[in-house]
Amino acid sequence: MNHFRSVLLRSSNFRLPRESHARVSSVALVQNVLQRSYSRYSPQYIEPVYRIEDLEKIKESGEFKERQFTPVKAALTNQTSSVFYDPLVTKFTNYIMKTGQRTLARDLINKTFENIKHTQLKKKQEAETQEEKDAIETNPVVVFHKAVQNCKPILQLTPVKRGGIRYQVPVPLTEKRSFFIAMRWLVEAGKDKYRDVRFSEQLARELLEAYKNEGRVVKKKQDLHKQCEANRAYAHYRWS
Amino acid sequence: MSSSLFQLFRTGKLIQNGYSVSCKALHSSQQFVKATTAARSQNIASFSTAVSIADGKTPDDQSQKMSKAMKAYMNRAEAHDALMAEETAEYEIGRRHLANIMGEDPETFTDEDRDKAIEYLFPSGLFEPRARPYLKHPSEVFSKRKEAEFDHSGRPFHTLFYTGLPNYFQILHDITERVRELDHFASRMSHYNVALDKDKSLNLSSSEWLTKEEFEIKIIEAMKDYHYEFFIKSMNRLAAHPLSYRAKDFIMDFRKNKPIVKLLQEIPKVMYTAEGVPYMTETGRRKTATATVTVYGRGSGKVTINDKDILYFSNLQDREQILFPLQFCGVLGTVDVVAEVEGGGTTGQSGAIRYAIAMALRSFVDLEMVEKMRLAGLLTRDPRSRERKKPGQKGARAKFTWKKR
Repeated sequence: MNHFRSVLLRSSNFRLPRESHARVSSVALVQNVLQRSYSRYSPQYIEPVYRIEDLEKIKESGEFKERQFTPVKAALTNQTSSVFYDPLVTKFTNYIMKTGQRTLARDLINKTFENIKHTQLKKKQEAETQEEKDAIETNPVVVFHKAVQNCKPILQLTPVKRGGIRYQVPVPLTEKRSFFIAMRWLVEAGKDKYRDVRFSEQLARELLEAYKNEGRVVKKKQDLHKQCEANRAYAHYRWS
Repeated sequence: MSSSLFQLFRTGKLIQNGYSVSCKALHSSQQFVKATTAARSQNIASFSTAVSIADGKTPDDQSQKMSKAMKAYMNRAEAHDALMAEETAEYEIGRRHLANIMGEDPETFTDEDRDKAIEYLFPSGLFEPRARPYLKHPSEVFSKRKEAEFDHSGRPFHTLFYTGLPNYFQILHDITERVRELDHFASRMSHYNVALDKDKSLNLSSSEWLTKEEFEIKIIEAMKDYHYEFFIKSMNRLAAHPLSYRAKDFIMDFRKNKPIVKLLQEIPKVMYTAEGVPYMTETGRRKTATATVTVYGRGSGKVTINDKDILYFSNLQDREQILFPLQFCGVLGTVDVVAEVEGGGTTGQSGAIRYAIAMALRSFVDLEMVEKMRLAGLLTRDPRSRERKKPGQKGARAKFTWKKR
């Protein structure tokens, strides 16, 4: 049968594809996608865009047409188009969450922000000049953003093995990773407290200190940067 | 009434359990091959007479020279044709009886009417839809099989018969022919300086190629994976040609609509209450929770869940989820929502209500907003559900403590 096939294909100017002998599933080859074994969605599904402003951007850029017939995953339960939604705060809540207790994590975040607000308002009332009053930021979300920004490391040390010795090589971080590390450090600092102190109190304190570029977490970032500077000599091990 | 029902059973061949009948049919007609024209099927019936005309020999001589295998093959082909004819006739009678029972005109009795009538007359508590009683045309019940691929003398009708997959290779030849035609047309266009019309170009984004199984059923030939892969590659070559719109019918013959198309095209129209208030009812499910939601237009933003306020949900996140589709479409203060929900927990219930509200809102907003809702993930039924615990493991994924010894 193969002989006949080759005759026919030669007469119609087709080349026998080499891949025809390989053991690849027709679906994977033809549709050219990788299968994710852990997802309930098939690989064609794309991430949802649930923010109205982001959708407007997509509309302007003309990507609507590309996504026209692509199936979309369902939006998660903590994603909304609400004005009160902040993606960084949502991520932070998830980092605080343990064993799926999102309600508790959210309560803690709310209490933390309440504490920040109380502290800042008190300071504002105690401030004398108008200038000082204006300088004090009472919006806890803004405080939180600035705190995370101040804690973000730029480089991290990764162990690289060369000639039997493990060197700590400074390596640049992606945006996502640096955000994650900053937030993780903040949560860890919040947990590292005396027994009678509440987590939300401690975390509020940490955030306010980080906002002012002081405190444990910022110190940790600066220590990391110093170590990276010290290990500068090994930086080329990243490539060699 | 009962006597006509009895008639139906006797002559209409109402199939209580289609499985056994179709299995029998499959088994008996495994060796059949397809005839591609009506003339060939006629040949089967009149093979003896055709022989006598063609070769000048008597029918008896020729039939003696036919091998047993050929004879058996011919008999089977005839038997299959006879079976199909008989089944079709009985089906027709049964269908007419059914129409009369329901008081409908047999001429205007559609397939949907027929299915509804069977569901009404024979209500089934069976879970599997395929196990319930049905009345279908024999062509839908019996899988298509090939009739006769060669005549009395054993000479095949199709030139590519000896490839073993004549229809498949015929299609490949057709593809190459089309590509050459399109190339020729393109060269003629350039010769006469005719520009290519971009608007006419084929848009295949709303459809996808038939799967291997569907393709095999379509051409009534079983093939290997690499055959199918090569077919898809060749078709992609043809579809990628700038003038592929000229071969549109041929290409679309092997494509089917994507399931998304159905979601966007079949948006139900808004209904009206006695007072003229527009409303839409939808059911939503998430994680064993089921919600039936009615969205009323001309409202004031009132939300009622199981006869309670939105404070039915004590969790802020759940309330946000319910308001998400309303806020997204900008109808927060202009519609009322009445929801009945049961099953599941708080997150499941709020997710079910969210989905139902979004599906109901499709009827109230324009198509662009519907598309935006779809891209926001509001119109996807969240398929995630609790994974079962497996034996030998502590949970769905967690394993028991591993002890080295």
